[in-house]
Amino acid sequence: MPSPSYPQSPADELTQSEIERYDRQLRIMGFGRESQLKLKRARILVVGAGGLGSAALLYLAAAGVGRIRVIDKEVVELSNLNRQTLYTSEDLGKPKAEIASRRLKELNPEIEIEPLREKLTDDNAESFLKDVDLAIDCLDNFETRFILNRACVSLSKPLIHGAVYGLEGRLTTIIPRKSPCLACLIPRKPKEPPVTPVLGPLPGVVGALEALEAVKLLTGLGDPAIGRLLVIDGYDLSFYWMEVRRDPNCPICGEKG
Amino acid sequence: MRVTVKTFATLREAFGGRGVLYLDLPDGSTIRDLLRALGSYGPVDELLEERSNVKILVNGREITYLDGLETRLKDGDAVAFIPPVAGG
Repeated sequence: MPSPSYPQSPADELTQSEIERYDRQLRIMGFGRESQLKLKRARILVVGAGGLGSAALLYLAAAGVGRIRVIDKEVVELSNLNRQTLYTSEDLGKPKAEIASRRLKELNPEIEIEPLREKLTDDNAESFLKDVDLAIDCLDNFETRFILNRACVSLSKPLIHGAVYGLEGRLTTIIPRKSPCLACLIPRKPKEPPVTPVLGPLPGVVGALEALEAVKLLTGLGDPAIGRLLVIDGYDLSFYWMEVRRDPNCPICGEKG
Repeated sequence: MRVTVKTFATLREAFGGRGVLYLDLPDGSTIRDLLRALGSYGPVDELLEERSNVKILVNGREITYLDGLETRLKDGDAVAFIPPVAGG
């Protein structure tokens, strides 16, 4: 529930406190009031509240995305804290979805957070997705990513994909049936590594870029990374763009799919 | 001729961890020849097994949109091997 000092404000106008809170982004050329209202009316799904999710959620909440549904089944572990900046050492053993929700409401009480302590499955994915404008992949394994991808294609929901490994990152924005889906990019089920090495700044950078892509899709600002994959190499700080194309035979989004 | 080979993520680890290799190849060599030459540096068979998931780029362009494994290389080319990653 929204706190009493922040009564639910109308969806078609900005309150004085919102105008002040979002002042610096309202000043961006081409952004303005209309974009802020689009964010305010938006509903998004963030799957995973780990390293990618910490960064993406903080920036999306700060930017004023009106309703954020966040799914994560895990509790905070000590080995999370090198990168999962939503949590502190006080949070060990507590459910991430609830702690994340509390932190995000502290950051921005003007928005609604819907924490779900669940694991995304083929059976529940569409129910979490059906009423959102887009989904953000902040997951840490291939299997759940493919579940999310399949559901997004099935419901034609834009999906922002991010992933990290060591000092590397990947990012692309998927518009089902217009740009390649995750199964076009990764046609064979890869071996699932038991634990992935990660240095904190990488999910920080990629999660922040996922938030940027979400804001762009929701407001129509700029050109999202559709049909191109960003590969970040943190060792020499190189950023590579690769053109990616749809696979006409893709079992998920192809014409025969 | 000499080409630069860049390996990413798990392949970076499998090919010695430095991320960059410089290979001297006969003129006219293709990606297929390069893979053969790479055999002394790391597990090329595993790479090929995962081939459909590994993006192979020559100067930033994926070989699927060039001539695949028959794509010809020239002196100074940069070849990248990019596997998918799943961390978060």
